[in-house]
Amino acid sequence: MSAAYDVAFIDRDDRDARFLVRGITPAFANGIRRAMVADVPTLSIDTVRVVENSSVMFDEQIGHRLGMVPLSAPPNEFESGKGVRLALDVSGPDTAYSGDLVSSDAVVEPAEDNVPIIELKEGQRLEVEAETVLDTGKSHAKHQGGVAVGYRHLQTVEVVGDREEFADEEPNILRGVIEDDGELVPAEEFDHDLTNRYPGKEVAVEDVPNAFVFHVETDGSLTVEELVTAAVDSLEARANELKEAVQL
Amino acid sequence: MMVPVRCFTCGKVVGEHWEPFEARVEDGEDPADVLDDLGVDRHCCRRMLVSHSDLVDIVAPYQ
Repeated sequence: MSAAYDVAFIDRDDRDARFLVRGITPAFANGIRRAMVADVPTLSIDTVRVVENSSVMFDEQIGHRLGMVPLSAPPNEFESGKGVRLALDVSGPDTAYSGDLVSSDAVVEPAEDNVPIIELKEGQRLEVEAETVLDTGKSHAKHQGGVAVGYRHLQTVEVVGDREEFADEEPNILRGVIEDDGELVPAEEFDHDLTNRYPGKEVAVEDVPNAFVFHVETDGSLTVEELVTAAVDSLEARANELKEAVQL
Repeated sequence: MMVPVRCFTCGKVVGEHWEPFEARVEDGEDPADVLDDLGVDRHCCRRMLVSHSDLVDIVAPYQ
């Protein structure tokens, strides 16, 4: 596949973005989506050593909650299976938050500071040491950088005639993004209802071939840009590996 | 017990929204408006907060 492709952003934020990609096949679009979910490694707490836990939760529950906290780290800083050590020490009455985690390496920090881990009452204390591991979403959902990643076809709307004079005023609901005279219009602009945009008209909606609108949201451990480029890199690395493996 | 850190279905981190959500609903705001404002858009994530009940205070005396 050497055909030119083209990317245009519709919404762009650090953690949430929508972009249009033209000139890729459905298989490739799904490959990118799957790579974003399963193949991009992120850092997560994997082993917890409990020094003291007099809270109302079991050690295992605390360990699970700590594991789910997203940790942000610069991409390619760590090798697979490697990580840093984090420590948490909170005495009640207080609530232990993810932001109370102290990292041994300043480049790694919780992506969210306000996730409550456990509420501690008078006399209760939680002290743990945690080891982080770099791994992919394949092995555990906590390593999944992309959240609810998906794509839709770009659509075109064509006016095919006038609505019948006595036809029912039914809404014509449409999600995603439409292309109108080369302009990209997100469906939110007309409240997802085509009758708002084309009042009194009969319309036909069609998918644009090989044009996909990706919606990418991350859990904060990576930015959208890092996630997408890392996913494409991992696809390329696997394709190269295959190419070398089958060479005669 | 404590609010789940992530949405069970999609994996979005919802734990940090619990305290503002609870406080604002207590003040009489409409829960739907609060969730929209916090950016909890999908119904899988919304149910995590709407259906949550804190039990730490209830089990604490039996430690």
